[in-house]
Amino acid sequence: METSMRPSIQPLAIAVFVLFAALCALAGDVKIIANPSVKADSISVGELRRVFLLQCKALNDGSPVVPALQKSGPAHDAFFRQYFGRDYEEVWTYYQGLVFTGKASIPKQLGSDDEVVEYVAHTKGAIGYISPTSSTDGVKSLVVLPDEGKRERTLVKRVEPEYPDTLKRLHIGGIVRLRVTISPKGSVDSVELLGGNPILAENAIKAVRQWIYSPGASQSKVEVTLSF
Amino acid sequence: MYRRLLELVLVCISLAQWGWAQEVRIWNRTVQAHGFVSQGFVYTNQNNWLTMNTTAGSGAMTEMGLNVSSQITDKFRVGAQVYDRNLGQLGQWHPSLDWAVADYRFTSWLGIRAGKVKTTLGLYNDSQDVDFLRVFALLPQSVYPTDLRDATIAHSGGDIYGNFTLRHRLGELSYTAYAGYRNDSIYSGYPYLISQWGTHLRGLGGLQYGADLRWNTPLRGLLVGASRMNQDISGKGTGFVRLFDPAAGIGPYYEFSKANWTNQFYGQYRIRRLQIDAEYRRYLRDQVILNGTSENITDVRGWYVSGTYRISKRWKVGSYYSRYTVTDAFGGLLATFTPDQTDTSRPENHLYDTAVTAAVDLNRFWDVKVEGHFMNGFANAMYPDGFYPQQNRQGFKPNTNALVIKTGFHF
Repeated sequence: METSMRPSIQPLAIAVFVLFAALCALAGDVKIIANPSVKADSISVGELRRVFLLQCKALNDGSPVVPALQKSGPAHDAFFRQYFGRDYEEVWTYYQGLVFTGKASIPKQLGSDDEVVEYVAHTKGAIGYISPTSSTDGVKSLVVLPDEGKRERTLVKRVEPEYPDTLKRLHIGGIVRLRVTISPKGSVDSVELLGGNPILAENAIKAVRQWIYSPGASQSKVEVTLSF
Repeated sequence: MYRRLLELVLVCISLAQWGWAQEVRIWNRTVQAHGFVSQGFVYTNQNNWLTMNTTAGSGAMTEMGLNVSSQITDKFRVGAQVYDRNLGQLGQWHPSLDWAVADYRFTSWLGIRAGKVKTTLGLYNDSQDVDFLRVFALLPQSVYPTDLRDATIAHSGGDIYGNFTLRHRLGELSYTAYAGYRNDSIYSGYPYLISQWGTHLRGLGGLQYGADLRWNTPLRGLLVGASRMNQDISGKGTGFVRLFDPAAGIGPYYEFSKANWTNQFYGQYRIRRLQIDAEYRRYLRDQVILNGTSENITDVRGWYVSGTYRISKRWKVGSYYSRYTVTDAFGGLLATFTPDQTDTSRPENHLYDTAVTAAVDLNRFWDVKVEGHFMNGFANAMYPDGFYPQQNRQGFKPNTNALVIKTGFHF
């Protein structure tokens, strides 16, 4: 019985694998690019939506942005499905509502990935989407981050604080509590002492200032506790 | 009329051939042009509706618009739209400047628009002409009466608008505050209604100001909002010198507002292919009429709940239940002749409408809608609601079923 089922399972497994691979490919089928004049290296999903729904003209860091659409294609479909959860037809209707009530113009529409790259490279503040395999000459790629509150700033580089030998020998230890302000790029902007041994705190602050976190859409604060 | 319509359709088709992104370069600026035209047919089994002879079937339901706009800088944009319609006795092919705006957006939370600006009131007031944006051939008439579009559609003045992202993942707030002058066409519903009493307005309009606040809630797809509008409206024209005495001759006529306000509350929920809308509007109009001799207080309350579902990329269906009630109270000279009408259970004071619609997009530019209305009441009051005595001289019947077929082309 077992042997007779094997031949039928194999094609099924292959089909499932192919389907899974296709779905995975579909999920990551779009790359966000921007003109080098855009200061940010990352953009949150919420910001991306607001930019393409014409609700804002600048990113959170103040960089002015101009959205560019594709007319059709796999990157176009993937972009609206992935970041808007809607078909483009619905977003197109939304654009027309704005156009016919005098509240906005439809963003620039381009015919291919190459045209988008060309336009974004030569238009100050332009932001667009292309297939991940397309060339990004003359443009910068933006990392798309989950919305604030839906993600945590993860620590990318950690520098351990120095524990002075004298204190170690005398078994003088304890905890130091710090409030760390992280820049959108991930570097530590400032460190505030919340409590703990002042001698240990000096070394803790010195170390934490060298830490690097994952990029975020805006400045954020975390509380850190270090034990000595 | 049909020749005019045919010409317009040909122009639209030519423009569509030009390409679906209608852009041209003028003086080194990109200029976008967009337009729409729609044609409807209405048949009713009882009572003529919307100033058409619908019991015989009427195709006098055409509207069209053409706009151009250009983004001058990343923050500054200009544009204008011409609009024309013929709906039975309304519009009568007199084109108007629908909107013409200069829009400067300082930042996401502050922008200004000036010129002739579409008025933001509830979910659909500003887009009520743009038929192809929605599933229904006719929006719920309790809240968006098409014969009274001029009363709310636009103001010559300005808007301040913007949106905020709220902290702590509390969603987004959008606001619009506006002030300006409303100017109705003399071919609109109210002038037409009062023409039955020998009064012919040459001008109707006045101050219109208000605000709208809407909240995109943290629950994805849920929007709630509220709008308020205040108006000070006056009308001038000619009318009978003495009430109910045509033999006394015709003289100047005027009327003006004592109070005129609208409150509207609304919600919209979108989940996957389903969209549910609900709106409530109360409109109170205390108008001094008949050259200052009389007063008419009209209190209109309307609400609806609608649902639309996108079956596929092309096919959509929808349904709504719409409920409208109106009361009239009188003061001055008119009060001695006319009793107040406050019983909304009478068909003269209500209009309940259940509608079902199927819509198909034949292609990206062209759609067709078929809609059935099952109406109870006719609300024949001192303020228009779709049923006019001029087309129903034999008297009103309490129930009306209507079939509306509409097709629209846009680019």
